[in-house]
Amino acid sequence: MKTSVIVAAAAAGALAVAGCGSSSTSSTASGATKSCVASVGMEGPLTGPVAVLGQEQLHFAQLAAATDNLANKTKISIVQGDTQLNPAQATTVTQQFTSNSKIVAVVGPAGSQEVEAVGPLMARAGLAFISGSATAAALTTGKYPTFFRTVSKDSVQGPQDAHYIINNLHPKALMIVDDQEAYSTGLVAAMMPIFQAAGIKVDHESVSQKVTDFSSLVAKITPSTTVVVLPWQVASNAQQFGRNMAQEKKKAVIFGTDGLFSPGTFSINGSYVSSFGPDITAIPADAKIVAAATAKFGKFGTFGPPVYAAQHVIDEAIASVCKSGQTPSRANVLAAIKKTNEATTILGQPIKFTSSGDVVNGKFFLFKIDSTGKYNLIPG
Amino acid sequence: MGFFFQELVNGITTGALYSLVALGFSMVYGILKLLNFAHGDLYMVGAYVGFFVIQWFGGPQSLSIAVPLLLLIMFVLAAVLVGGLGVAIERFAYRPLRDAPRIAPLITAIGVSFFLENAALLLFGAQFRVYNTADFISLSSGITIGSVTIDSVQIMVLVLGLLLTVGLRELVNRTKLGKQMRAVAADREAAEMMGINVNFTIAATFFLGSALAGVAGVMGGLLFNQVTPTIGFIVGLKAFTAAVVGGIGSLPGAMLGGLLIGVAESMITGYISSTYTNLFVFALLIVVMLVRPSGLLGRAQLQKV
Amino acid sequence: MSLDPPPPAGPPPPAGPQVGADEWVARQAHRREYLPSWLGRAQRQAERVGWWPRLALAGLAAAALPLIGLGGFQLQVGIDAMVVALLAVGLNITVGWTGLLDLGYVAFFGFGAYGFALVSSGQIGANGIHLPTYLSIPLVMIAAAVLGLLVGLPSRRLVGDYLAIITLFFGEAFVEFTNNVAPNTLGGPNGIVGIDPISIFGHQITTNTGYYLLLVVVLVVTMGVLRLLEFSRTGRAWRAVREDPLAAGSMTIPVDRVKLMAFALGAAVAAMAGTIFAAQQISVFPTDFDTPFLILIYAGLILGGAGSIAGAATGALLIMVIYDGLLRSPTDSGYLFYGLILLTLLVKLRPWRRLGLVLAATAALGFAVHAIAAAISARAVAGSPSSNGWIGSALHDWVIVPANATAAGNWGFVTLVCLLIALVQVRSRTRTILLPPTLYLAAFVWETTLSAQPAVTRQLLIGAILIVMMNARPQGLLGQRRVEAIT
Repeated sequence: MKTSVIVAAAAAGALAVAGCGSSSTSSTASGATKSCVASVGMEGPLTGPVAVLGQEQLHFAQLAAATDNLANKTKISIVQGDTQLNPAQATTVTQQFTSNSKIVAVVGPAGSQEVEAVGPLMARAGLAFISGSATAAALTTGKYPTFFRTVSKDSVQGPQDAHYIINNLHPKALMIVDDQEAYSTGLVAAMMPIFQAAGIKVDHESVSQKVTDFSSLVAKITPSTTVVVLPWQVASNAQQFGRNMAQEKKKAVIFGTDGLFSPGTFSINGSYVSSFGPDITAIPADAKIVAAATAKFGKFGTFGPPVYAAQHVIDEAIASVCKSGQTPSRANVLAAIKKTNEATTILGQPIKFTSSGDVVNGKFFLFKIDSTGKYNLIPG
Repeated sequence: MGFFFQELVNGITTGALYSLVALGFSMVYGILKLLNFAHGDLYMVGAYVGFFVIQWFGGPQSLSIAVPLLLLIMFVLAAVLVGGLGVAIERFAYRPLRDAPRIAPLITAIGVSFFLENAALLLFGAQFRVYNTADFISLSSGITIGSVTIDSVQIMVLVLGLLLTVGLRELVNRTKLGKQMRAVAADREAAEMMGINVNFTIAATFFLGSALAGVAGVMGGLLFNQVTPTIGFIVGLKAFTAAVVGGIGSLPGAMLGGLLIGVAESMITGYISSTYTNLFVFALLIVVMLVRPSGLLGRAQLQKV
Repeated sequence: MSLDPPPPAGPPPPAGPQVGADEWVARQAHRREYLPSWLGRAQRQAERVGWWPRLALAGLAAAALPLIGLGGFQLQVGIDAMVVALLAVGLNITVGWTGLLDLGYVAFFGFGAYGFALVSSGQIGANGIHLPTYLSIPLVMIAAAVLGLLVGLPSRRLVGDYLAIITLFFGEAFVEFTNNVAPNTLGGPNGIVGIDPISIFGHQITTNTGYYLLLVVVLVVTMGVLRLLEFSRTGRAWRAVREDPLAAGSMTIPVDRVKLMAFALGAAVAAMAGTIFAAQQISVFPTDFDTPFLILIYAGLILGGAGSIAGAATGALLIMVIYDGLLRSPTDSGYLFYGLILLTLLVKLRPWRRLGLVLAATAALGFAVHAIAAAISARAVAGSPSSNGWIGSALHDWVIVPANATAAGNWGFVTLVCLLIALVQVRSRTRTILLPPTLYLAAFVWETTLSAQPAVTRQLLIGAILIVMMNARPQGLLGQRRVEAIT
């Protein structure tokens, strides 16, 4: 008994000595120049069924923070919060962030429902939050004074796409499938009246995001249906839909919204995809970021770049606050974000926010996919 | 008419997939009375194994070996690895709870499910892994009868599913191991007293059930192309439903239940509406359960007084 | 009156352990009701006090917590935990007392939340129905009880897992229904926002502190009422139906009616929790009520001990505080991880000599490996532990963190799982030899990958905790060991 006590005490002592030793060596490293230190929260579906979206957003946010830390000599760290796209969990994560006084701004949440759930909390705490994927039109009607987003809203994308389809593709019958999420149903609600007013026969279907086999749905495509509209978030599902269509020899053309914009994942020949920004892999200025992202994380789609832009906006706001001599706080970072005026961003467009949080002059671009899977911009 | 047959073919193919998983589920339930919620995640592991085999041999566009050999390796490797994983899970998580009330292993199974899903997320990442079956099994191979197209992958799934089901039935009914399994399922203590190695029999059952789930995972990957850590949850739920609706503990019942669910989903999507597919399938299954309270092919349990 | 001669005096009792008489033997055979020494005395004293003073004391302690300073996050975690505790206590009626496996319970919760949202917000009609709280909550609870009766109707024909599957359908159907049907009334995926707060005696509750205190009161009152019910005729009827429905029926217990009552009462409790949830969140969405949430409720109930009210509440509180509170913060996750490992060693590894030996060997192994790795290649120790705070700095020279941390960590993770499975299989001496490398590998995996991905680690840890706790105590923390007669 005595020997074991001595042995255990020796082990504990050894650990303590090692700990003290290393901590003393590390403490001499810091204490150099007083740099700009701040924490930024990141809310997203990091696990769960849509983890692919959340993890992509997290990776791009981390990439942006690392790049900006080097460029601006700041020390911005990211605090992760997993919401699993569930609004109740988003509330808990937001409470965690608002109670953490070190957090001066938040990137996310990803879903429009989550923004509705956490908007009042964020407003009460005066915490600015920028989303890279919440596109519901109702979010920027002034209800949430600290909300911003780097993507355009459904009420712009829906009608623009619907008019293009009517004027350029001239379908007599089309099928539109929503994926039972708020993004999708919002777009369908925006597009359906326009199609119906033009006298097109519309077959409105609905499948859950979790479904991976669309053969039964594809069998319902009639020979007179020339366009299938897929306002989905998961590009991989649309790719599978296209495969099922090829398998069952259906000739319709797929028209996707910005959720499908994923060169490499969604590559059905002849499809149309609309996007709120140009293809960043085709922008020369973004080549370094694209290379870094591909090297570290592999293929990416449409959810990462807007979050990169959001994180960048926050990083620049914090850097400007520090440059003016103040310590970053929620109030001054919020004020700095409101004054954001970035001429060039990763999205190839300038970012400036309206008073209700939208990007000024956000517009949509249209692409057509060719047989090699390349996204070709359609002018006009 | 062509539309009806097309939906039927689609339904039977997905149904065959569900029945394979339901078979494994039913086997484990029959022998341990355990609702193994981690069974769907074994399907997911099988799908990942198949994906990595394809990558090992050069990727879907530049395979270094012939396609039939690739398929053979995929199926065998998935069966062996996932079977082994199932045995390990049984040994580690379920064996200590063999005599506990039935509700306790339920939570352990849920814990195993959480662990498997998130271990896959940690190790393999969240991005969708794609089989790209069309790149090595051409879409135009297959039969076309009128307006009904049956892809060669679908044919393979149906044939393999049938072979495995028949093979399993022969194993359970004709071999010594099958007799041991049936004995342990009927009365574990009596089987032990008759000299049957209960631990080995249970491990063998888990191996077979998990191997079936693994093979089903590869088939699912070939059919549906995309593999993520969370595909197992829905499939596991459907397998659970199929096994119970068919009569839990009964192997032909599990197969029938799986086919019923697959065909019902397909037909309801095609003829009624895709929005309310799940609601109608649930309603149909509730009616089936109320008409036959012990499942389609289940035996009414005699109650010992 | 016996005419037989008295039996001769037997031999003197033997020295050494005797079944039925010896303390150690009795404890090994789990026949002791109380813990040894002063703990047992405390237990007996507590039992003499009675249940309702204990309940009231626990309630007062919980209510006093905000006063000693709980931040907004801790209050939210407390609210979430108490909602799940209320649900677990309600589920206990159906699953724990009556033995009916109800896999659609979360639908009653959702029904209560949506019901309250519809009658106390601007959703229906031009300005909405804004029923006062004292009308809306009882209305919703009664409606939920009726729904519970309807869902319980199949229980007359179906038993066991067949009933479970029907309730599962109902649970899934509820999410589909609220997501896809009548989007203008029910809100579709966008849910219902702008729900009125709960007002008690004219005073509106709008802060988290208010909802926390309301939940403490509601939970304590519900637990008290259910405790009274547990020892009533109905409670005894429920337990009789759980043990043997046939025997209960022959003892004139109306089995069908008793089962329906269990469903109805469970649904009413769930609906009450739903209304408070809806008012606190100010919004409801279909995804709030999906199957993963049901799994949490079940985990809490069974971990705490199904069949015991205190067990259900304790298990749920424990699970939610760990899952939703502690594991969301990377530093707390680190403490929990290392703390749980050390606790398991402390509890399982006896005698003390062995424990000390294993700890010392682990420390020595770590330093040796670190030195060897540093000598071989600088890249092997280039990284730094991803734990923050004193743990990271303490382990800096002990655990090797290579430059390419993630890949090494992933391989280490797989090896660790294999080692853990092997540990269970081998004999005691091999186990002691295998323990130090396993412990070191665990620290390695934590510092390289797990700590850097807190979201995934949180799920891994909760899965591991569920597995380990169920294996350690299958009847739950406060449950009774039962033997099930499986016919």
